[in-house]
Amino acid sequence: MTNCAGVIAIDQYLAHPPAHVWRTLTDPELLARWLMPNDFAPVVGHRFTFHTKPRPDLGFDGTVHCEVLELTPERLLRLAWRGGRLDSTVTWTLRPEGKGTRLFLEHAGFDTDDPAQLHAYTAMGGGWHSIMTRALDRMLLAPSG
Amino acid sequence: MADVDVFAAVASPVRRQVLSLLRDGGSRPVQELADHFDMRRPSLSEHLRVLKDAGLVVERRSGRQRLYTLRAEPLREVADWLHPYERFWREKLANLRDLLDGES
Repeated sequence: MTNCAGVIAIDQYLAHPPAHVWRTLTDPELLARWLMPNDFAPVVGHRFTFHTKPRPDLGFDGTVHCEVLELTPERLLRLAWRGGRLDSTVTWTLRPEGKGTRLFLEHAGFDTDDPAQLHAYTAMGGGWHSIMTRALDRMLLAPSG
Repeated sequence: MADVDVFAAVASPVRRQVLSLLRDGGSRPVQELADHFDMRRPSLSEHLRVLKDAGLVVERRSGRQRLYTLRAEPLREVADWLHPYERFWREKLANLRDLLDGES
C-alpha cells in the first residue's frame, strides 16, 4: 500500500527462506530475471545501473543509476535510485515468517508535485495505460485544464 | 464541492468510456456521446450526472445543446492512491514470486 504521497510501501509473503530471497535480490543474474538487467554487486558504496526502455519523450533515458547504501545479509538492502529527475531510495527488508519470508519494499523520495517526476514514474512503470494516467498526463501537460 | 467519490465515479465501465471519449475529443454534446452507447439517453444522463457530481466533467450550455468537457484534476486522487511506480513494483514482485516458485 502507498502510505502517503511520496512513499510506496508494499510487502509480499514468499514461501521461501530468507537466504533464497536474499539471493534473488543480490545475484545480478537472478535480479535481471525478475527486475531489470544490471551490474549490481553486494558491496556498500558500489555504484551500478539498471536498464529498461528509454522514454526520451519523458526525459528518461532508460537508465536507473543506483548505489548500495546499506546492506545486512538476509535482512536489509537499501539502494539509491536515480533516473530522469527522480532521486529516491529503495529499501528491501526481509523478515522470516513461518517457513517463508515476508519481503517489505519501501520506495521513498517521490515528489508528487513535480509533473516531470510523475512522468518518470509512468515511464518506469512501463505501460500503466489506464485512462487515469492518460487523463493525468493530459492535465499535467495542459495545467490550465 | 464534489459529493460523489471519484473512485465510485470511475468504477463504471460506461463512465470510464465517457471519460475516454471526452479525453480524445474535447467537449462533446450529450447526443454525440449517446451515439456511442446502446442505452436510453436518460440512463446516459444519469451517468453524466454522477461524473459531474464527482467533478470529473463540466457541463455547459451552448444554445440548445449541453456540452460536456473532461476535468481531470480529481483523478490525481486516484493516481496518488495507485501510483504508477506502485504498479511497477507489484508486477516485479509477482515476477520475483514466480522466479522463486519456479526454482524450488
